[in-house]
Amino acid sequence: MKLGLVVDLDTCVGCHGCATACKQWNTSGTIGPLSDKDPYGKDPNGAWLNRIRTYEVGDTPNSKTVHMPMSCMHCEEAACVTVCPTGASYKRAEDGIVLVDQDKCMGCNLCAWACPYGARELDPAQGTMKKCTLCVDRIYDQKLPENERQPACVLTCPTKSRVFGDFDDPNSQVSQLVRDRGGKQLMPELGYNPVNTYLPPRNKPAVEVYKVTSIKQSVKTWVNKMITR
Amino acid sequence: MHPAFSVLVFTVLSGAGYGLILLMVIGHLLGLGELQDRNLLLSGGVLSLVLISTGLLASTLHLANPKNAWRAFSRFKTSWLSREAVFAILFYPFVIFYLTGIWSMGAQLNAIFVAAGIISAVLALVTLFCTSMIYASLKTIRQWNNALTPVTYLVLGIMSGSLLLLAVQSIVAGTVSSQLQQSAMALLVLGVAVKIIYFFWIGKPSGSTIKPATGFTQASVRLLDQGHSSNGFLNNEFGYTVAANKLLRIRLLMLAVAFVLPLLLLLSHNSLLFLIAALITLAGLLAERWLFFAEARHVVRLFHGDQRV
Amino acid sequence: MTSQENIIAIDSGLPEFEDRDKQQTKYTTCYMCACRCGIKVTVEDNKVRFIQGNPNHPVNKGVLCAKGNSGIMKQYSPAKLSSPLLRKPGTERGAGEFEEISWERALGILEKRLAKIRDTDPKKLAYFTGRDQMQALTGMWASQFGTINWAAHGGFCSVNMAAGGLYTMGHAFWEFGDPDWENTKYFMMWGVAEDHASNPLKLGLKRLKERGAKFVSVNPVRTGYQAIADEWISIRPGTDGIFALSMIHVLLKHQLVDEEFLVRYTNAPQLVVNTPGKVGDGLFYRGAANSDGTEGKPQVWDQQRQTCVDGTSADCSPALFAEFITDDGTPVRTAMSILLEKYLDDEYSPEVAAKECGVSAADIERIALEMAHVAFKETITLDIEWTDWAGRKQSQFIGRPVSMHAMRGISAHSNGFQTCRALHLLQIVLGTIDCPGGHLAKPPFPKHIPPGIKPAKTNIPNTPLKSPPLGFPTCPEDLVIDDAGKPLRIDKAYSWDAPISCHGMMHMVISNAVKGDPYKIDTLMLFMANMAWNSSMNTAQTLEMLCAKEDDGEYKIPFIVCSDAFNSEMVAYSDLVLPDTTYLERYDTISMLDRPISEPHAACDSVRTPVIEVDRDVMSWQEVMVEMAGRLNFPAFKTATGDRRYKDYKDFIINFEKEPGIGFLAGYRGVDGTKSLRGEPNPRQWEAYEENQGFFEFPLEPKQRYMRHANKDYLELAKEAGWGGSTEQIVIEIYSEKLQKFRLAGQGLYDGPMPSEEHHKERLVKYFDPLPIYYMPLEEQRIDRDEYPFHAVNQRPMFMYHSWDSQNAWLRQIMNQNYLYMNRVAGEKLGIEDLSWVWVESHNGKIRAQIKLMEGTNENTVWTWNAVAKRGGAWGLSDDANEATDAFLMNHLISELLPAKGDSGDKITNSDPITGQAAWYDLRVKITPVTNGETGSWPQFSALKPQPNALQSPKMLSYATHKNVNIIRRWADTLFTGEKHSSNKAQSEKVSNKSIINGQTPGDK
Ligand SMILES: Nc1nc2c(c(=O)[nH]1)N[C@H]1C(S)=C(S)[C@@H](COP(=O)(O)OP(=O)(O)OC[C@H]3O[C@@H](n4cnc5c(=O)[nH]c(N)nc54)[C@H](O)[C@@H]3O)O[C@H]1N2
Ligand SMILES: Nc1nc2c(c(=O)[nH]1)N[C@H]1C(S)=C(S)[C@@H](COP(=O)(O)OP(=O)(O)OC[C@H]3O[C@@H](n4cnc5c(=O)[nH]c(N)nc54)[C@H](O)[C@@H]3O)O[C@H]1N2
Ligand code: SF4
Ligand code: SF4
Ligand code: SF4
Ligand code: SF4
Ligand code: SF4
Ligand SMILES: [Mo]
Repeated sequence: MKLGLVVDLDTCVGCHGCATACKQWNTSGTIGPLSDKDPYGKDPNGAWLNRIRTYEVGDTPNSKTVHMPMSCMHCEEAACVTVCPTGASYKRAEDGIVLVDQDKCMGCNLCAWACPYGARELDPAQGTMKKCTLCVDRIYDQKLPENERQPACVLTCPTKSRVFGDFDDPNSQVSQLVRDRGGKQLMPELGYNPVNTYLPPRNKPAVEVYKVTSIKQSVKTWVNKMITR
Repeated sequence: MHPAFSVLVFTVLSGAGYGLILLMVIGHLLGLGELQDRNLLLSGGVLSLVLISTGLLASTLHLANPKNAWRAFSRFKTSWLSREAVFAILFYPFVIFYLTGIWSMGAQLNAIFVAAGIISAVLALVTLFCTSMIYASLKTIRQWNNALTPVTYLVLGIMSGSLLLLAVQSIVAGTVSSQLQQSAMALLVLGVAVKIIYFFWIGKPSGSTIKPATGFTQASVRLLDQGHSSNGFLNNEFGYTVAANKLLRIRLLMLAVAFVLPLLLLLSHNSLLFLIAALITLAGLLAERWLFFAEARHVVRLFHGDQRV
Repeated sequence: MTSQENIIAIDSGLPEFEDRDKQQTKYTTCYMCACRCGIKVTVEDNKVRFIQGNPNHPVNKGVLCAKGNSGIMKQYSPAKLSSPLLRKPGTERGAGEFEEISWERALGILEKRLAKIRDTDPKKLAYFTGRDQMQALTGMWASQFGTINWAAHGGFCSVNMAAGGLYTMGHAFWEFGDPDWENTKYFMMWGVAEDHASNPLKLGLKRLKERGAKFVSVNPVRTGYQAIADEWISIRPGTDGIFALSMIHVLLKHQLVDEEFLVRYTNAPQLVVNTPGKVGDGLFYRGAANSDGTEGKPQVWDQQRQTCVDGTSADCSPALFAEFITDDGTPVRTAMSILLEKYLDDEYSPEVAAKECGVSAADIERIALEMAHVAFKETITLDIEWTDWAGRKQSQFIGRPVSMHAMRGISAHSNGFQTCRALHLLQIVLGTIDCPGGHLAKPPFPKHIPPGIKPAKTNIPNTPLKSPPLGFPTCPEDLVIDDAGKPLRIDKAYSWDAPISCHGMMHMVISNAVKGDPYKIDTLMLFMANMAWNSSMNTAQTLEMLCAKEDDGEYKIPFIVCSDAFNSEMVAYSDLVLPDTTYLERYDTISMLDRPISEPHAACDSVRTPVIEVDRDVMSWQEVMVEMAGRLNFPAFKTATGDRRYKDYKDFIINFEKEPGIGFLAGYRGVDGTKSLRGEPNPRQWEAYEENQGFFEFPLEPKQRYMRHANKDYLELAKEAGWGGSTEQIVIEIYSEKLQKFRLAGQGLYDGPMPSEEHHKERLVKYFDPLPIYYMPLEEQRIDRDEYPFHAVNQRPMFMYHSWDSQNAWLRQIMNQNYLYMNRVAGEKLGIEDLSWVWVESHNGKIRAQIKLMEGTNENTVWTWNAVAKRGGAWGLSDDANEATDAFLMNHLISELLPAKGDSGDKITNSDPITGQAAWYDLRVKITPVTNGETGSWPQFSALKPQPNALQSPKMLSYATHKNVNIIRRWADTLFTGEKHSSNKAQSEKVSNKSIINGQTPGDK
């Protein structure tokens, strides 16, 4: 199994819903707490597993705004795991989820250095590395109703721009989306082979223009129709 | 990359320590005349141990959760940091055994002690190499991810070691070994050459750009919002930026302090000046390490708006 | 696979993460904003573990926004107030020196003060509420109290949208209607950043895009929703009216209008008297008065009978176009004829319009014709039999799948009412009102035009008002003015300044009360309104006004009471502070008597019930209202024998009946809870709601779902449910005779109240056009446009609700500083650099702000995120919080009065001249770089004090409801596994064929 997310850049409005859903689930979740430094002071700064960035593509007047949520890509070639000296970071054989064992991490930051996607953040209180767990504590928890065994960010996304599934299964929704919409990896040239895939914005739908024949300029030229009220 | 002071101290001091012991053991076992002295060997050995140990201790200071530092030995299979840790620790019994031999027998050692010496020299080299590979293996930082990184670490470690060895030798013996002096000078020249090549190399605009990072390769891409107003972990760790002209000044100063000045001092025959040369080199190498970090540009910066790294 | 089956492989090594036995799941309604999503809250040890969307809820269908997901940090905000506060005797207002008092004492103080006012002159109580959701209760409370000085925030929010819709088609944008997301093929969004239908809009946009429908966004700024639009129209602010009317010009020019729709459902064919300069000009030509004295029916020209007939009758064939002199010698023409003549004028041609609004003539023409194509060539029909208002069976619903949504980009301008009407007119000529694919009403809308409530005028001590304080004037007689024409209300709503200000004018209250114009008040009572900061125009001066004193040392506003849940800026400026509960701690109703949470196809309402036990000395404002009503002996709150009628809020909600069988909650009525919409009180109503996850949903039958303005089955249901007064057809008013009456008053041609002052006359004549018009926003008319070259507008950030969320430790990390955003090219022209600090100056003052250059902003516009700036010390923030030092408030630049020119307009409210809607977005500014390297925002205000007993704001926060259960990596794995983990393949397969983490039907594989 190769679990991960598809993120639809055509519909993400950058609402940050997924980021805060992630924060609230995971702060009491397996990787929590996700601490916040100076939460009510100058420059508050906490650990988040999912951040939304916004870019403008192209120059005035031909430009476009794109919102890009980013969390761990659960890379197939996860160098963050390779470099970890303590073995705290690992990639699960069963499903490819990359996790950090909080009891083993020594907070050396090396894995964050090895991650090209900014997916790892050091917890300011605990000194251990935090990262997206793909909500492993939701998707496998059989005590949750079946339709809720989804990552918190996926459940909450108001534009349904996030889809979770098995990329190994060619019939899964994620695999289909990647095929149909030309899904892309970010920075493929680095060779991490990230599992999470981004669907690029679509082309504009074509709408026809009403073919006009005559031009009427005044009341006189408009003939009343017989319409029963 | 944000330069963590503890890491600078660690790599500079332990590099010098490993260089020192490496050269000393080689010189000693190859029978270099000036090094066949018990006191000198002991002094050099202890100094190197002090440097290495101080460095290693310093390195734990940058750990956010040091109580798990001992676990760093676990991932020898994949992690260069783990390997470094394992070799660094493995080094101790051998070098201590070797030094005990010298302490008890003087410079003339029997085979077991010689073997221990050779092993510790090899381990010193390997450890130094492992340290360098921690950086060199990171594909995320092009300024590090190249062969020059291990070369730099090895050359500069040995170079600073050679200066220390010369200083120790001249102080303890009261005379100057011209071979040590010449090799130190040669290593200084090599060091400065490696560094200058490195600067040229990283100056080439070859890094990733924001376009493939975001997947929009057809047009300009600009960051509008990074998603959080105040800087977070990623900004602090990777966003470290120093103005280009300041970097240039620091580079020149560093080259002068780490290489040129010591070279000039080595032209003398004064052990005190040698000591000073060694110390300035260490100071210069701190600047060199600082630059190594400050000039390294992590690809994550692209997501935070940098056009290229 | 059944849901009980274990999907974890036995040896998957995953621990048990949560002790579910310690957890409870409760359903309630979110109140991180006014969208009112259903939430499912998991609680553990009286702490919130997780808040998620309720998948069954009609509003949000399981999704939640960034705010809704951060409810935990609202619940644990250190800014929460913890007991009633009384300003310390001898300290100044604004100093924030309070003593904690008991509720008994607080309620006693309030009771005494209010009783005295009610006994003498009830209008001396001004009661205004901010972003609340209980106007049905507070409005009724005010009527019972007997003060006409009540209103909610609608006047500074979006009354232009409400009035624009309600005076045109009986429903509206804002919270009153929705695009038909399932069927629409062409969607235009005008001036919307986030809006109240926060999650529904997002869900809807996704549906649109999935179906390949076209989404056009009209907005000077391209962020958020506009980012995913298929086409972004970068309009110059305040000019949407001309853009829309020009598209109408194009459609008319090509005869691309839905004539059947216009004839059947609108007043387009009705005959209008054409006697310019005479009394009665522009009014409908009516038949003889009825026997009961009410005026006769508007007439149409029946083409079959060749005579004038009752235009509201069925089975006539009205001429859409006609101009003639009637038998009694009255020159008349149809409303449609007037419309055609008006909009075919060159003034509305795309070429002329383009110059004003900045949208190219070609684009105006193309978009109009694209819509025409979709409306008329991609028509959809639903084969559902329905009955029209006249009882005739119709075999199908015809859908013209073009729809629109518009909000404050339209409404927050002083021409917003007419612009909003222009948008509706555009929809109407395309025939896309309440039809499949069009703009759908949400029950209890549509209503008759306008709803038949008139604003109350009289104040009698100890006597409830005869009608609610707010209503819908239809003629000058309905104004709330005295015989001399002077305003009777403290906010001057319903005066000649703004005759149709049907949501009041909250933005004028403080300014007027301090001036004593039209009179002085005794007590200002604010609920959920941060008038000392982000909801006032001209904030710095407002703070001074709040502290202004008479010569005798008494405050000009003698007593200020505020109900707030948090230590907002307003708290410091109050004399008595009544701390509210949080939304997770209280009982509340989201009532159909208020703004609906209905969906187009279902009437819905909902409740809040506590999910967390209160740990402070706080009381919900609902409880306070019911308690005060009881203490003050309001008639509706006592029994026939004079005893107190309702024990508490819960009791009140169950048992209060507005009319027989109609109460605050429409669901589970009747003694046994089996009746819907109307029925006797049900003593178990709260429990019934709780059992249904906190909401009630009454789906309409398919035949009741469209064309509701003329749908008999719907209109009958609406009458039965108390939503509408009659089952008569709701005739859509493209031509507003109501506006014309005011205009006649301005022309001196009205047989009734008329203004005496010149500027009032002028405004009535100019702006009360019975057909939608475009005019330049008033501020722009009165300033030097070259001196102030930029429009300055705001947007709502999706993750912040006004001032509420800077106290939220998670949300403020997303944004704690706002920038002044500016187009990059425009900035470069002025030599303004990215991230530099600049002075921003308007006719009213100046501020310092930091610039951010961007591409997606109109070149004539600068903008910022609304209400990010905070005062240091407020909201549990440190004195040097970024919100206080670097963020800025646009409000300082916006005056509550029009720019001074030394004429009679100087003292007039900066609002729409028709509705009194605050004109926040009319602002024009100039921008200059700072010269001496100053940084930080300006003006700065001294930091506010934390409240006595306030929780310490921690330096580090690690919230969790239980000790986190870590997944431990096994030793063997740690030591010996290589990078590829291939050794575990067998296990991998074992798990994968049992679990399904995929696609739409989890667990089903
Ligand atoms: N997250 C969040 N949601 C909220 C609120 C909140 O504070 N936060 N507030 C709630 C409240 S009280 C309200 S009133 C609603 C308001 O919801 P919106 O209507 O979305 O209000 P604004 O954010 O003011 O957005 C106005 C939009 O109009 C654009 N605009 C400005 N001038 C013009 C113009 O002349 N023409 C056009 N076409 N566009 C223009 C602006 O760029 C902006 O995008 O949101 C409600 N929902
Ligand atoms: N510059 C500029 N100014 C604007 C606007 C703009 O677009 N630009 N928009 C305007 C609009 S449309 C609106 S609607 C207003 C909104 O203006 P307001 O409604 O006045 O402002 P809010 O910030 O929503 O908060 C009001 C108060 O409600 C309190 N509150 C929050 N939760 C509770 C609760 O549960 N109980 C009680 N009792 N109090 C609570 C908060 O602490 C806060 O003090 O702002 C207006 N101001
Ligand atoms: S919740 Fe969805 S729409 Fe919102 S930022 Fe995340 S992915 Fe984008
Ligand atoms: S995204 Fe980063 S943290 Fe996640 S697997 Fe890839 S390299 Fe590791
Ligand atoms: S920070 Fe923790 S998880 Fe990351 S490499 Fe270091 S020990 Fe491993
Ligand atoms: S999958 Fe879970 S942990 Fe990962 S980003 Fe989404 S919510 Fe956060
Ligand atoms: S839109 Fe967000 S904040 Fe508003 S009610 Fe819904 S979930 Fe709550
Ligand atoms: Mo509003």
